[in-house]
Amino acid sequence: MRNELHAVVVKELRQTFRDRRMLMLLIVAPVLQLTLLGYAVNMDVEQVETVVTDEDGSPASRALLRGMLADPTLHLRGASGDPAAALTEGQASVALVVPRGFAARLAHGRPVQVQVLVDGTDPVRAQAAVDATTRFLQRSGQALREAQLRAAAGAPVTEPALTAPPVSVARISAEPRLLYNPRLRSATYMVPGVAATVLLVITSVITAMSIARERELGTIEQLMVTPIRPTTLLLGKILPFAAIGLVVAGVVLAVGVNLFEVPVRGSPLLLLVGTALYLLNTLGTGVFISTMARTQQQAILGSFFFIMPAILLSGFMSPVANMPGWAQLLTAFNPVRHFVEVLRACLLKGAGFVELAQPLTALALLGTAMLTLASLRFRKRVS
Amino acid sequence: MPDATPTPSAPAQSAPAASAPAIVAEQLTRRFGEFVAVRDVSFKVARGEIFGYLGANGAGKSTTIRMLCGLLAPTAGRATVAGADVARDPERVKRAIGYMSQRFSLYLDLRVRENLEFFGGAYGLGGAALARRIDALLERVELAAQGDVRTGDLPGGLRQRVALIAAMLHEPAILFLDEPTAGVAPAARRTFWRLIRELAAGGTTVFVTTHYMDEAEYCHRIGMMTAGRLVALDTPAALKREHLAGSMFLVEGPQVAAALPELRRHPGVLGAQPFGAAAHLRVDPARLDGARLQRLLADGAHGALRARSVEPSLEDVFLALVEER
Repeated sequence: MRNELHAVVVKELRQTFRDRRMLMLLIVAPVLQLTLLGYAVNMDVEQVETVVTDEDGSPASRALLRGMLADPTLHLRGASGDPAAALTEGQASVALVVPRGFAARLAHGRPVQVQVLVDGTDPVRAQAAVDATTRFLQRSGQALREAQLRAAAGAPVTEPALTAPPVSVARISAEPRLLYNPRLRSATYMVPGVAATVLLVITSVITAMSIARERELGTIEQLMVTPIRPTTLLLGKILPFAAIGLVVAGVVLAVGVNLFEVPVRGSPLLLLVGTALYLLNTLGTGVFISTMARTQQQAILGSFFFIMPAILLSGFMSPVANMPGWAQLLTAFNPVRHFVEVLRACLLKGAGFVELAQPLTALALLGTAMLTLASLRFRKRVS
Repeated sequence: MPDATPTPSAPAQSAPAASAPAIVAEQLTRRFGEFVAVRDVSFKVARGEIFGYLGANGAGKSTTIRMLCGLLAPTAGRATVAGADVARDPERVKRAIGYMSQRFSLYLDLRVRENLEFFGGAYGLGGAALARRIDALLERVELAAQGDVRTGDLPGGLRQRVALIAAMLHEPAILFLDEPTAGVAPAARRTFWRLIRELAAGGTTVFVTTHYMDEAEYCHRIGMMTAGRLVALDTPAALKREHLAGSMFLVEGPQVAAALPELRRHPGVLGAQPFGAAAHLRVDPARLDGARLQRLLADGAHGALRARSVEPSLEDVFLALVEER
């Protein structure tokens, strides 16, 4: 048993490290992917191109527009006679339209509406633009009410009321304090997700390919006439890739910490345990796919059938809580989701074993089930 | 000419009884759905014998060998290899045999020695003992200098020798070789067969399939398969005696193929088969002596044909067998 296992492990390592393309896939690709994704997948909306249409042309309307454009999110592209066309042509994503009679209505203390046209094709950007415009209008609306209160109390309405400093009136305001990721950096949020997907892709695809290759080249038949046990063979194939997976996970984490300032607040032991449990799942998936593939190409294609939904339903891109009920139910069986949860909580919040008992248990159960199922299928296929 | 009556000699390891045959097949049958790949095949192979298994592609050779190696369960009948039942105890069979397939299942991206280390390990060998065994075998097949060559860089003939010793690392009592020389250059095939004969002389039983009829002459005994049936089983000499009555002539001429149907109808002609660009003609010497044959060929409608007496080959036997059925 010892000699057999040793022989398989050594052979797999030799084959993997001799193949330059495989090495690229193993070490360079994950780092590259992480770097690219970390930089490129940026949910922080920096600037939204804005055009203005001032139909009123009064000091009050100019003051309003100045105030709105003071928000760093909105970037003025210029004035436009046809705001709708500006949006359609892609000149701008936001158009601010101040209607004729704005100043007059305001002076008479009547309600007045400012039109904000937003290009909704990109929901994230649209939301940021809506937030930016409403932030200012809420504040100026409040200032107006306070000014009216003062006028009612006998004080004169100062022009322009929009920019007048607020008086002290009873009000409730929120003082949000952001924990764990105070600057709401996308990279901090994304890196754990990217790490989980990179690990998934590497370990499951390589495992599936290494077994499918034996079948494709016919070497599996030679193995079948040797007295080597299927379990030994499987173990010998999984162990090297598990080790490689742990190394890759370390590299990915190191890149995340150094390049994207991802904090490591939790215990490294927890990270190791979580990753090991996660690898049970990804390696098991790889073996499972290989039992259905005759060629390496089929193995790769098969892997992506598993990988794509696993990533989409992981909460890596969009929060699980936003998914419909049935999808949330599915994520319970998705190891990527649990691992992303463990990584984020451990790295960013410093959560420990107790706090993460649930996802860790899920990973252990799912991993054991997957690997058992896969090895049963593998043994049946081999003998 | 190899010895037609092999003398059983017991190899050192795992011999149940010195006199017991190495391989016994009894009514061995394998079906794939409706298709019967192997039908009712029975034979015995003695220890130290080279047993050749001949037949066209798809005749059932590989299916038989796969059943004997424990890779494929028989649908009916039974077989024992090295005293172990192939269906009930395939693990014991696997330990006793070495198997080399036509695809030379080596890892082409590994070096020669790395391949041997791996297959040795798969048989539970390791450490210094395995290293010594690898050295000795590489020496024996004249590949000592190629140990560090990438297996994929070796020419086919040398790769085939590596595959052979990969199957011999654990000193198996029985070697199964499935078309071991397919696609290998003739010179390399001769070297390979010299090795096989040496092994058999040392007591190893060799079960070999081939469709090269010339190679079959090296075997002690030959089984011939057509369409899943074992249609003949004997020594090469006996097969020729039994199935090739009369004398054999090689007939040459520009239109020899066109002349064959007419020749077959001629009294005294027992058989006529194309043989390369020429033809093999088998005649009953009592009814058609040499002089009359020459006249027949010279006067034919298909131009002048020349004939000369030749030794019959196993291919003639095979063709005669196919014709008989």
